[in-house]
Amino acid sequence: MWTTAVVSGITLGSFYTLIALGFALIFGVTHTFNLAHGELLVLAGYVAYWLWKTSGVSLLFTFPAAVLVTLAVCLLLQRVFSRLSEPLELNSIVMSFGAAILLQNGMLFCFSGDYRLIRVPTFNQGLHFNTLYLSYGQLTLLALSLLVTALLYLLMRHTYLGKALRATIQDREAAALAGINVGGMGVLAFAIGAMLIGLAGPLYGCVHYLYPTAGLQATLLAITITIFAGVGRVRGLIVGGWILGLAESCAVVLLGASWREVVGAVILLTLLALRPQGILERKQ
Amino acid sequence: MLCSRRFPIIACLLLLVFWGYSPFAVAATIRIGEINPLSGRLAKQGVEIHQGVAVAVAEVNETGGLDGLRVEVISRDDQSQPDVAISRAEELCGWKKVLALTGGYVDSLVGPISEVAKKYQVPYVASASLQKELSQRGNPYFFRVARLQGFVEPLCSILADHVHPQRLALLHAATPGSTEFARDLRSCLQSRGIAVMLMEKFRPGTPDFTPLIGKLANMNIEVIISGGFFADHLLLLRQLKENRVNPKAYIGPFGIAYESFIREMGDDAEYLYSTCAWNPGITNPGTEAASKGFVERFRSMFHREPNTTNMHGYTSTRAVLTAMQNVLHQKKPLTGPNIRQSLAELDLVLPMERVAFDNHGDPRHYRHLVVQIQKGKFEVVYPPERTTASAIYPMPTWGQRK
Repeated sequence: MWTTAVVSGITLGSFYTLIALGFALIFGVTHTFNLAHGELLVLAGYVAYWLWKTSGVSLLFTFPAAVLVTLAVCLLLQRVFSRLSEPLELNSIVMSFGAAILLQNGMLFCFSGDYRLIRVPTFNQGLHFNTLYLSYGQLTLLALSLLVTALLYLLMRHTYLGKALRATIQDREAAALAGINVGGMGVLAFAIGAMLIGLAGPLYGCVHYLYPTAGLQATLLAITITIFAGVGRVRGLIVGGWILGLAESCAVVLLGASWREVVGAVILLTLLALRPQGILERKQ
Repeated sequence: MLCSRRFPIIACLLLLVFWGYSPFAVAATIRIGEINPLSGRLAKQGVEIHQGVAVAVAEVNETGGLDGLRVEVISRDDQSQPDVAISRAEELCGWKKVLALTGGYVDSLVGPISEVAKKYQVPYVASASLQKELSQRGNPYFFRVARLQGFVEPLCSILADHVHPQRLALLHAATPGSTEFARDLRSCLQSRGIAVMLMEKFRPGTPDFTPLIGKLANMNIEVIISGGFFADHLLLLRQLKENRVNPKAYIGPFGIAYESFIREMGDDAEYLYSTCAWNPGITNPGTEAASKGFVERFRSMFHREPNTTNMHGYTSTRAVLTAMQNVLHQKKPLTGPNIRQSLAELDLVLPMERVAFDNHGDPRHYRHLVVQIQKGKFEVVYPPERTTASAIYPMPTWGQRK
């Protein structure tokens, strides 16, 4: 039972990380609080579902289409956000809340309120390691989140572009004074964020289920994980996701399923009180 | 000069405004109100109730309305939020002056609407509400076509009389209706000698059931009853399959007996148990023609098969309209107290149930049938007098299926 709980906690945490990566990057670089993040994720899921259902393509081939659609919508949103006046965070909340409602109703119109599920038969098979069982679905989530986080980490740490993005996250004005095109970094952050959302969306339709208002839950998760990690901390996102996932899983085994959210909330509040800078950030 | 030119326009506008309030205009139609979650997290169910309401109104209007008066339904969207439901109810009862209310999905939305209806003395027949407390508040204007015991009694009986599980788990969503359902079912089962080994509450929309499944596997649970909803079943069942956990029976009273559920789950929906009050192939004995008429009308209006939620909307609206018809036949004015009295005396046989209300406004005859999905169809397996197929128990393991 405990091994199942630990495996499930880490898998769930990996899923959370995938959901949060795009939000964290966009927020870090552009300071826009994108409340439509979850809706974009669900939109990507719907694109994948539609392709899978109508043309019978495998899940793998739905990713490019999902990425393209989210890229287009995210770049449009970026254009809107870039015209907002100060205070940027507050105005972006209002603007993105409107965008979220618009997307929700658009999806309700196009796909109806029915719950949709992308069925991947191979996700139901798996590997046995003694008493431990790992389904291919869990392995995919784990591998993909580690791969994407590692790639993002390498980009941020070991490329000129990444360094420019980090500089923008740390201090936009100083970055601009150093010759970095801060506006361009914003476009880039939205583009990379859109790709990450486009990757996570179809998986959301496989391991969860899709309905037009599912995005709210995903947005809240993304905000929570970003707070856990600290702004701009890519490794922190995966550690934060795992901590939350493990805490929730262990709470279900120890205390019961109704305690899952309570434990998550307690950890979040504790972290905010003790380590507001994020779990991996050193105190100034 | 300018004033004289504008006079005809102003006069026309004034005429239009006063036409809306004139007794003549009101007399031409009978206005009822309908509040449903047409957007937000309960949009799917709200739209389904709304469609059922529309069919009932169309049916009555096609047969000449109520004593020659056309029925007009004013629909409002509560956005799945109680505060919005209150403001919509205030608008319909206070401003639009509807004669009765229908629709409504889940207790958290139906409850606030019922309080507003009471304030304005507007009879309200809710389409889908289960929480017992709502009908115990002493609200004489509140009626509903569903009740919790309609689910509990048949499930308790089939488990006690036919299945006799040794290790049973009862999971339920953290909603008032589902929690009450679980409590009532547990006490019924215990009174009939069946122990509930595990009772767990989860939030609707939980993203991962795997730790809970680990617990179920560890306890070697035979029968899982899940009081979750459509989406919760989708996830829980898929994760049961992923983790190779094979209960002998999986029972989901809410959300499984839908064609859309079979469509989304595919073959994995086979052998699941659920309950249903009505389906296109399952109707109250003696109402086959009425049921067929409803199905055909629904198909022509919405181009798809109706389901039990649609029928709940239809039933509540038919109850309201028949009560109004009875008031008109008695040559009484259509007032809230008169319609309320007529509803209290109603005895109407419809495809889903024989509609008659007790002193609390609860339906006297609402009782579900236990169904099992076999070869992609819903087969009635309980009660014995209504069975269409034998129950398959235990259900095959995931590995034994094709």
